[in-house]
Amino acid sequence: MRRGRIVAVALAAALGGLSCKVNLTPEGIMQTVDAIKDARKDLTPENEYWTGRSVATNLLARHDYQYRDADALRAGRLEGLTAYVSAVGGVLAASALETRRDGDRPAPIGGWHFLVVESDTINAFAAPGGWVFVTTAAVEAAKTEDELAAVIAHEIAHVARGHALGSIKKGRWAGVAKTALDTSVELDEQALGDLTKVFEGAMDDMIDGILVKGYSKDTEYEADKVGLAIMAHAGYDPQAFVRYLKTLDAKQHTGSGGFSATHPKASERIQKVEGQAKTLGTRKIPEIRVARFRAAVSGDD
Amino acid sequence: MKRRRLRTSLALAVAGAAATASLLWAAPKVGSVVTVRVMSAKVMKAPKFIGAASGGVSRGDQLTVKEVKGDWYRVEGRVSGWINRTSVMEGGVALSSKPGGGGGASRDEVELAGRGFTPDVEEKYRGSHPELDFSHVEAIEATQIDFTELEAFVTEGGLGGAP
Repeated sequence: MRRGRIVAVALAAALGGLSCKVNLTPEGIMQTVDAIKDARKDLTPENEYWTGRSVATNLLARHDYQYRDADALRAGRLEGLTAYVSAVGGVLAASALETRRDGDRPAPIGGWHFLVVESDTINAFAAPGGWVFVTTAAVEAAKTEDELAAVIAHEIAHVARGHALGSIKKGRWAGVAKTALDTSVELDEQALGDLTKVFEGAMDDMIDGILVKGYSKDTEYEADKVGLAIMAHAGYDPQAFVRYLKTLDAKQHTGSGGFSATHPKASERIQKVEGQAKTLGTRKIPEIRVARFRAAVSGDD
Repeated sequence: MKRRRLRTSLALAVAGAAATASLLWAAPKVGSVVTVRVMSAKVMKAPKFIGAASGGVSRGDQLTVKEVKGDWYRVEGRVSGWINRTSVMEGGVALSSKPGGGGGASRDEVELAGRGFTPDVEEKYRGSHPELDFSHVEAIEATQIDFTELEAFVTEGGLGGAP
């Protein structure tokens, strides 16, 4: 046991001074012995799982826990619009796995969960650990399954790229004793208190990024770029991504809050993704995809 | 002995922040054991995410690798078929059904999960936020999208393949 650590420290000294424990899974997350420097890279998938549950609960609380098909979900079943959105989300999640890049987190330990939140405000947001939320207004603003896929793919990209975890301020870890992060040392009350304090602050940081202030423009552009690639790989029409942004652009002039508060102007997003969408080409949307979208949204499925 | 192997495998040095885990990743050897790390996964009849499955496995299940094809492992165990490497970790590790690191978890699992945000931290956080209702996420996380059922959805909708 000690030998492994000594080897690690010696190698780190030789290679550049960064000592890490590394798990060898594909999302292999490095957790430093000294401290967590960047939650996006350093938190393990298990850490992300526990973080995601609390972020998702906070996000639901801010919507008074009002979401579609709640009774069925609480009974362990996917039904109605939620089942349809989950099917679209599942196809996109598989695409995210197939197109993943180094450092991506497309395989949450608890799986992906897609919820339709009751809200008149157009918005979609996501929590670490595979929690994706789309408001009823955002679903209704989509004209086709492909446009809905664009919204969901953008959110999957946020999770896969670890954007919420990345919004945790690095200074949050400053007061945590080194031993609190060392798994070979028994966790005492003081260390648990320190970590919980960081957790509290991290919740504020992530909810700010997800729902209040939004991420940086570059982060949103990255989610657009990655999301567009994910939906195109799944077989959806890449032009639907641009079409949905045009709908948002038209509504952005009349509304406030929701996506307007947390995203760059839709017109700027269109400028950024148009070239990529053009390169990806156009894909004909079969009538069945239009029909099943209409049925799901109207509740006739 | 098993614990020493795990710790040794976990304790590696990385040269610089640019180094990524994938650079270190090497496919498991045929005959070696992998452990399911996600809470549930399908073992597929063919190496693809959407399609027919041989059955399901849960976190902690151990499978023997019989063949490696890119990111897919043909495995044998409680269920036999193909599983993606994103669902498993190398080696045979005792994992509880829920991601561990809290009371009752094995040392190996604590090592794997790391510190930071763990069930202990969530419990303390929940204690100071009685206004938050965690029953929703707890119920919802029991629902899982069935990737085998998505095959019909993909075929019917003309999805898949390059534009």
